[in-house]
Amino acid sequence: MEITEGVPPVINLTEVAEREKEEFEKKVSELIIEFGAENLLACMQCGACASICPLARVGFEWYNKKLIKAILIGMKEELLDDPTPWACVACNRCTEICPRQVAPFEVMFAMRRLMVEEFAIPTLAIEGLRSLYEHGHAVYMTGREARKKVGLPENPPSTDSDEKALQDLRTILKNTKLAELGLIPME
Amino acid sequence: MPKIGVYICHCGENIAGAVNIEEVKKFVEKLPDVVVVRDYLFMCSDPGQEIIKEDIRKGLVDRVVVAACTPRTHEPIFRKACEDAGLNKYYFEMANIRDQCSWAHWHEKEKATEKAKQLIAAAVAKARLLEPLEDRYVELNKNVMVVGGGIAGIFAALDLANAGFKVYLVEKSPSIGGNMAKLDKTFPTNDCSACILTPLMVEVANHPNVELLTYSEVEAVEGTVGNFRVKVRKKQTYVDWEKCTGCGACLNVCPPKARVPDEFNEGLSLRGAIYIPFPQAVPKKAVIDPDACISCSGRWFGEEPRRTKDGKPILAPCEKVCPTGACSRDEPRDPNGELIELNVGSIIVATGYRVMDKKHFKEFAPDSPNVITALQMERLISATGPTEGKLIVPSDIPKYLEWKKKVEKGKEAKLEARKPHVITFVSCVGSRDERFHTYCSKVCCMYMLKQAMLLKEKYPDLDIYIFFIDVRTPGKDFDEYYMRCRKLGIKIIKGKVGGVQRLPDERLLVRGYDADLGKPVELISDIVVLATAIEPNTDLKDLARKLGINVGAEGFLRERHTKLYPVDTMTEGVFICGCAQGPKDIPDSVAQAKAAASSAMSLLAPGKMRVEPLISEVNPEKCTGCGICAPLCPYGAIEYVEVDGKRRAKINEAICKGCGVCTAACPSKAITLHGFTYEQVLAQIKTIARKGVIEEV
Ligand SMILES: Cc1cc2nc3c(=O)[nH]c(=O)nc-3n(C[C@H](O)[C@H](O)[C@H](O)COP(=O)(O)OP(=O)(O)OC[C@H]3O[C@@H](n4cnc5c(N)ncnc54)[C@H](O)[C@@H]3O)c2cc1C
Ligand code: SF4
Ligand code: SF4
Ligand code: SF4
Ligand code: SF4
Repeated sequence: MEITEGVPPVINLTEVAEREKEEFEKKVSELIIEFGAENLLACMQCGACASICPLARVGFEWYNKKLIKAILIGMKEELLDDPTPWACVACNRCTEICPRQVAPFEVMFAMRRLMVEEFAIPTLAIEGLRSLYEHGHAVYMTGREARKKVGLPENPPSTDSDEKALQDLRTILKNTKLAELGLIPME
Repeated sequence: MPKIGVYICHCGENIAGAVNIEEVKKFVEKLPDVVVVRDYLFMCSDPGQEIIKEDIRKGLVDRVVVAACTPRTHEPIFRKACEDAGLNKYYFEMANIRDQCSWAHWHEKEKATEKAKQLIAAAVAKARLLEPLEDRYVELNKNVMVVGGGIAGIFAALDLANAGFKVYLVEKSPSIGGNMAKLDKTFPTNDCSACILTPLMVEVANHPNVELLTYSEVEAVEGTVGNFRVKVRKKQTYVDWEKCTGCGACLNVCPPKARVPDEFNEGLSLRGAIYIPFPQAVPKKAVIDPDACISCSGRWFGEEPRRTKDGKPILAPCEKVCPTGACSRDEPRDPNGELIELNVGSIIVATGYRVMDKKHFKEFAPDSPNVITALQMERLISATGPTEGKLIVPSDIPKYLEWKKKVEKGKEAKLEARKPHVITFVSCVGSRDERFHTYCSKVCCMYMLKQAMLLKEKYPDLDIYIFFIDVRTPGKDFDEYYMRCRKLGIKIIKGKVGGVQRLPDERLLVRGYDADLGKPVELISDIVVLATAIEPNTDLKDLARKLGINVGAEGFLRERHTKLYPVDTMTEGVFICGCAQGPKDIPDSVAQAKAAASSAMSLLAPGKMRVEPLISEVNPEKCTGCGICAPLCPYGAIEYVEVDGKRRAKINEAICKGCGVCTAACPSKAITLHGFTYEQVLAQIKTIARKGVIEEV
């Protein structure tokens, strides 16, 4: 996990800054702030958020604190291919613990939005979206047998068993930015 | 028969944890003349002292021995208790059974108990022989000398002068103001340094109670508290200050060969041999630097002038332009200046600091003009700096100065100086580093944030990096600087820079490490600012020696006690403040200056001072006038006088400190050190030699 793809062993800050200035329309930090992480710049890199983030614990490379740092020095291309933001489980523990009210979770989600904008979505996430559109669940349900065993209805009372709800959800999705992007087929 | 009371302190667990108090008590009760033995948890506390006082008042005891911590801090407390209860306070003796017993032998409890017994027995043996003594008073001279005219010295002088004390303010450079005069804006709150400092400089210089002695240095100090005799050397200015009006006509007339790096601009520009340190200097007077002056007219002061063919004297450019004749070379001038003598009762040392030069840091490309110290950065952004505050890369300052010269002469010229796009700050340069200074310089984190913030606010397109080991912003309103920098988008990177390389185009390749990303980083920077350490002035040790005060291992002046006596020194009457005592910011320097001033005031205000009578006295009957003692006395208190036609030693009791050197040296045993007589000291030694058995008298 030491040398991640995309990030060279030595980070050239001049190149990063120049690319940010010349190639992007806005600074990465400005984009992330626009996408919802309003308090991004208040981060002091204390690491509290990383200490409790499940992503950091299981070895994802660009967990909250580190992602914020990379954004602050103007990195973008290097981050776009990384799946970490999509693995965020939105537990919000980081938001509660942060002493600067940065809401790192918001940064994770803003990063997702940026990735979507840049068409840089890992297959993992596209699969999830496709499943969401088709079944109403980002992670398709397995283990129906198990549900039966513990006395639950085989099909959960969700879009899975309610055709109308599923159609409503699809209508909603078709009216979001997702449809504009055309990442997944939506008939 | 004396009635001795012995009071044994537990000092919480500090003594009782190693010494068996009960056993000691049983032993002490049997000692001769001991009538009362008591113990208590904290003898120095109010109830503890009350136990002693009660016994004195009831007439139970008339000699007091306290066995406790150390006389260094507690002897005065118990003496006072005796005095309050009506006993002569020199009927008191202390046995040190904590610092020199329980603490030292914490793991050998039996031996500690045995030692405590013997120490107390020795104290009792001495107590039996104590004599009552009376305090003495010495007259105090109420004048004060303040050495160093930075912000600390200025404040100390002003406080004293306002309280009615006469102050001599001795400053080694031609102007007061110190390092603060070089700063642009100052944290916290970013006031302009000159705006808050200059009025104070003027105020202190014009104060009727202040005598300003600039371009002067302390040469020798004699005497003791209340009566110091100081020799101050006023250096030769080579300009008649009575005549010089500070008009500045001479400032730019020296030829290029006579131009040297300008101290006020930290070497970023040059000054002539004749110069006024800076436009707001106080006093605003010119001096000639004799090492730089090349004597344009071919004559030194007092020499015959060379003459033109038609016999007119040839004048140097400075002489020619000076409208008042202040720098005329007709009169000879003593290169040693003038030696004056001052009599003062107290001395305050406020000689400040210097910043480390970049040359020590080979890894940071010190040869590059674009690698600068933070103090140079202050000059670069200051409106009174070499570029009037215009931000350009330092390597182009010569171009700027050329351009300015042309413009001033009314010529048309285009300024072709490069503006920086990237500025990198490097923290802890020479601080927290075993190779240089191990202490933290305390102000650099804050001034780096300040400078970065000022730059970014003025030039939002600048890309600013600050490389830190860790950011230290303790104090009211300080962390705001850090947060403000973050929010301005200044890139704060945890990790110290390890190398800077000078590039052919005068930019710099910086190699650092980003601890947050766990990777080495590098960047190209137009300017690299080194936060070089605050260090003691080179002549500080020498000054300390003259004053009889100590410097610590790191080279700054040492206070008597870090917590309780922070501006006092081991020499009574000498106080310290500001950066001479250690790195600190302006608020702390001022606070210390005011503390030093008020310490001097409370010392001198009564006009006389009580001194302990524990001093030496010569018995002229026994003295043979051999001459051994006087040269040994470290305070110069002994002189020889005629007594009945014979040469006899005499000790000046205002000067004697009771150190005992003469007493021990006198071959005729003619000198008595009161409070430590031969009989008393021998009784102590004998008691210890006999393992606690006191010889009957
Ligand atoms: C780059 C930089 C930026 C800073 N910015 C800030 C800031 O923004 N805010 C802040 O609070 N602090 C700041 N500081 C710290 C500030 O400079 C000091 O706290 C302050 O100047 C200390 O004042 P002082 O009077 O003790 O010493 P100094 O200013 O050093 O004055 C000492 C004076 O004594 C004189 N002297 C020295 N030796 C002798 C001698 N032997 N005999 C006679 N006179 C002598 C000197 O010539 C000088 O005039 C900064 C420091 C640096 C290096
Ligand atoms: S919300 Fe996301 S980033 Fe925050 S702790 Fe949970 S998983 Fe980590
Ligand atoms: S807890 Fe907050 S301040 Fe600390 S690193 Fe995470 S986001 Fe930054
Ligand atoms: S003689 Fe005057 S002008 Fe010439 S170098 Fe000396 S001070 Fe300067
Ligand atoms: S104040 Fe900051 S930069 Fe200066 S030595 Fe201390 S930690 Fe280092």
